[in-house]
Amino acid sequence: MKNFHVAIIGGGVIGSAIAWELSKYNLNIAVFEMGSDVCSGTSKANSGVIHSGINSASGSLKAKFCVEGNKLLRPLSDQLGFSINWTGKYVIAKNQNEEKELNKLIKVGKENNVPGLKILDGKELKKKEPKVPCHSALWVPNAGVMLPYEFTIVLAENAAINDTKFFLDTKVIDIKKEKDVFKIMTTKGNFSSNIVINAAGLNCRKIHSMLEKPDFKIYPCRGEYLILDKNYGNLINSMIYPVPPKELGVLGVHITPTVEGNILLGPSAEFVDDADDKKTTKDMMKLLLMEAKEIIPSIQNNSVIAAYSGTRCKLASPEEGGWADYKIYESKQNPGFISLAGIESPGLTAAPAIAKHIANMVSKKISFKPKNNFKTKKISKRFIDLKQGEQQKLIGKDKRWGRIICRCEHITEAEVINALSNPLGAKTLSAVKYRCRAGMGRCQGGFCTQHIIRIMEQEFKLKPEDIKLKSQESYLFLGRNREVKH
Amino acid sequence: MNKKEITCIVCPIGCKILVKTDGNNCEILDGNKCNQGISYAKSEALNPCRVITSSIFVKNGSWPLVSVKTTKPVPKEKIFKVLDEIKKAQIKAPVETGQILIKNVANTKIDIIATKSIKSQ
Amino acid sequence: MIQQNVDVAVIGAGPAGLAAAVSARKNGAKRVLILDRNNWRGGILPQCIHDGFGVEETGKSMTGPEYANMYVKMAEKQKIEFMLETMVLDLNKKLEITAVNKNGLHKIKAKSIVLAMGCREKTRWSIMIPGDRPSGIFTAGVAQTFINLYNILPGKNIVLLGSGDVGLIMARRLKFEGANVQGVVEILPFPSGLPRNVVQCLDDFDIPIYLNHTVTRIEGRQRLKSVTIAQVDENKDIIPGSERKIKCDTLLLSLGLIPENELPKNIGINLDEKTGGPIINQLYETNIPGVFACGNCLQVYDTVDALSKGASLAGKNAVKKIEKKEKEIEVRPGKNVRYVLPQKITQSGLVHFTLRVTKPDQSVNLKIKADKKEIFKKKQRWVNPANMMELDFELSDELFKSAKTMEVFLDE
Repeated sequence: MKNFHVAIIGGGVIGSAIAWELSKYNLNIAVFEMGSDVCSGTSKANSGVIHSGINSASGSLKAKFCVEGNKLLRPLSDQLGFSINWTGKYVIAKNQNEEKELNKLIKVGKENNVPGLKILDGKELKKKEPKVPCHSALWVPNAGVMLPYEFTIVLAENAAINDTKFFLDTKVIDIKKEKDVFKIMTTKGNFSSNIVINAAGLNCRKIHSMLEKPDFKIYPCRGEYLILDKNYGNLINSMIYPVPPKELGVLGVHITPTVEGNILLGPSAEFVDDADDKKTTKDMMKLLLMEAKEIIPSIQNNSVIAAYSGTRCKLASPEEGGWADYKIYESKQNPGFISLAGIESPGLTAAPAIAKHIANMVSKKISFKPKNNFKTKKISKRFIDLKQGEQQKLIGKDKRWGRIICRCEHITEAEVINALSNPLGAKTLSAVKYRCRAGMGRCQGGFCTQHIIRIMEQEFKLKPEDIKLKSQESYLFLGRNREVKH
Repeated sequence: MNKKEITCIVCPIGCKILVKTDGNNCEILDGNKCNQGISYAKSEALNPCRVITSSIFVKNGSWPLVSVKTTKPVPKEKIFKVLDEIKKAQIKAPVETGQILIKNVANTKIDIIATKSIKSQ
Repeated sequence: MIQQNVDVAVIGAGPAGLAAAVSARKNGAKRVLILDRNNWRGGILPQCIHDGFGVEETGKSMTGPEYANMYVKMAEKQKIEFMLETMVLDLNKKLEITAVNKNGLHKIKAKSIVLAMGCREKTRWSIMIPGDRPSGIFTAGVAQTFINLYNILPGKNIVLLGSGDVGLIMARRLKFEGANVQGVVEILPFPSGLPRNVVQCLDDFDIPIYLNHTVTRIEGRQRLKSVTIAQVDENKDIIPGSERKIKCDTLLLSLGLIPENELPKNIGINLDEKTGGPIINQLYETNIPGVFACGNCLQVYDTVDALSKGASLAGKNAVKKIEKKEKEIEVRPGKNVRYVLPQKITQSGLVHFTLRVTKPDQSVNLKIKADKKEIFKKKQRWVNPANMMELDFELSDELFKSAKTMEVFLDE
């Protein structure tokens, strides 16, 4: 039975950030992830927004970790190479009444030490955002956008190259505490660890109940999104949020320019019974598009290239108001068991700060020293974004940089191969998509899928029936056509 | 004599032509808008035939399959017998367009030929 | 950067690019180069292993690969050059092409460029089908690629959405490969493919077609488990209570094609909203002098024969010297005509019109008027949106000089 100092349950952005933070030290760390890749849950299906802190109640953990995390992200992106676009955000008011809400937001912002907030009138906004008519707007400079999957993956892969063991397709079945050590039973075997960190997202309650009765309930809340074609990317420069709506049935759709140049509409917020219920619904998709068109009339119906949805883990029911602070604490009953529950927005922003906080908690239980050989693998720039001289050099070194596989996003064969060679061992179609972007363009894999499959077969010896979209059950093909015994 | 409705395929209107047939003779009852439809309906009622296209497995080729077709339309009732033989067949690269791959498939006196060329790997 | 100069550069080695290049050489172009992103020639044709190609053009019914081979042989005979596995990254108004392949970056300066990039398939999100996002959903063309080129079978319990020819062909293909084809779902009250394909792909195999139906939900969190279909009324609204679930593991989408024109957007090409392709004159020239367009990136064709005809004209005209246009007649679609090409006429002589009607009809007249005067009339036994119409019209010098606009329309 393999023993670890720290076992992290959940390979989302929180688990990966904690793993990376701890991997700086001489600890044996394991991450157990039930998906076929890290970033399979809430971390994958959100807006990718870096929040300023004005949305969180002052004095809350959400506010504290959001503001701290926000500060940490800029140097972190320099260090690890993930992209951030500090777009800023406008919260727009349609009329005088709504402007009152903007003032409320400024107040909370000031309490949370959010810098640079100011209100502009409609005319001033027109100069900055000509396609967004409004009465007035609140400018929030300290907000930005990133790719949540790029961020999660670079954290996880950097943890992995610093000896963190990632167990993918591994579900934790039970945890028992025996003296000072936790015994962790998984679908891939049994392990032991001195410390267990519950970062299991929507499964945090399930994991928590393996050791003790949770003092919280979780309320999965689904958010649907629409992605618009890059050709509409220049409609806005900053994020555009309407004032939070008071009426029922109104979403208050957020319009977010992504790092890649698409526009994101969403999310909705629908409480669902099943945490795994991530379907997209006709009503929501219609509502998202309709509300977006009211804010930005230039948006067309045929601008949608994809839709997705995710569920976030709320700790308060709709009757309770749907808002609760993060629960991050070490169990008194089972010392060494650290649970993180209800990490919803601003979880992405908060992740680096939460990770430091957890590392601090771990340091009080185990003494550790920083590694002197801590490695960093920065995300390399995409081929298509390089200067021509650099492109030529790469092709000269390896011809596969000259073969473009994804026509819409101009991704090369070398990048697909690098994606499949990731240190986590993830080899699904999604693993390729989230690492090198192939398949995310307007044709949604119409051209590149055959080439990615060919590469998987030829370079990585995968059989057609073993190729998966995301999870182990999401097989793409039955198998070979000829030579298949029916 | 049986009454049958034949969808004419000669032009995109797709007239539904009603015929009366006993298997040997065929009489047009109604539905056609032109004469081409008459000859099509008769031949379709008495002896419906189809060109079959599919693929045959290629060993050591630059692609694993070569597309094939029957050189002439085969009687409709033989379609799946023809496909069975196609599925069982295996040939070695190289293959040339027009190369006969199966002679007299399913005893139809019709051959299966390659419709593309596959080089050796 | 590897530099070269050519007379005509053709982007795309599908049937349009091949026909345009062959025609350019036949009309005197010295150096003709075709660039294509695949390592094969023929574009989509090598995977279209069914027959029915080239009937009008050659009298023979060929399969896609045979038709492609015919043109490849012509191209080789004409000593047309190919750069395969090469992606065009950029174009500029000086007609310089930036492309990349395993040998590096290339700059190709051309005297004229023929755009022949083809099209892409509409995805699930073009009609925003709600539900889960499992594996097992393919566009019909991608399923065709895997079955016919890569020897890979996508699934065994199939539902198809869309009864255009691609969908019908794939229904039969999957049936041939032993799959259980549950049915074809079509939102219109009639199949949108040719009767020949309805008979030979569906009727022959008792594959049901659900007309006036659409897929309203997709179910299956990992791999597709089922789809829900429902009936629609005349306004294409769902009729409540008509929903039914069909268990399946594969959904093939045949929702239509979108001309691929992202590349020329960089040089300010004017696109027609209705066709999805560039606005052209009768020479198949776009608003950018020296840049011509043909094939499926210009408009979605139904037959390769009509496509090759247009592409040949484009290739022929690409060889001519770029002349200054003295005037432009605007061509408009009129009654029951959804769109007509070319949208502009810039000289007298032969105009090869291609058009699509809005609604099916029988016993109507196809008419052309120049300003207010009717100048052409031809009886049509039938017209159908799914069948593109072609018309060769000789425009006299006199008419060209006097007319300001022209309209193509249908009338009793």
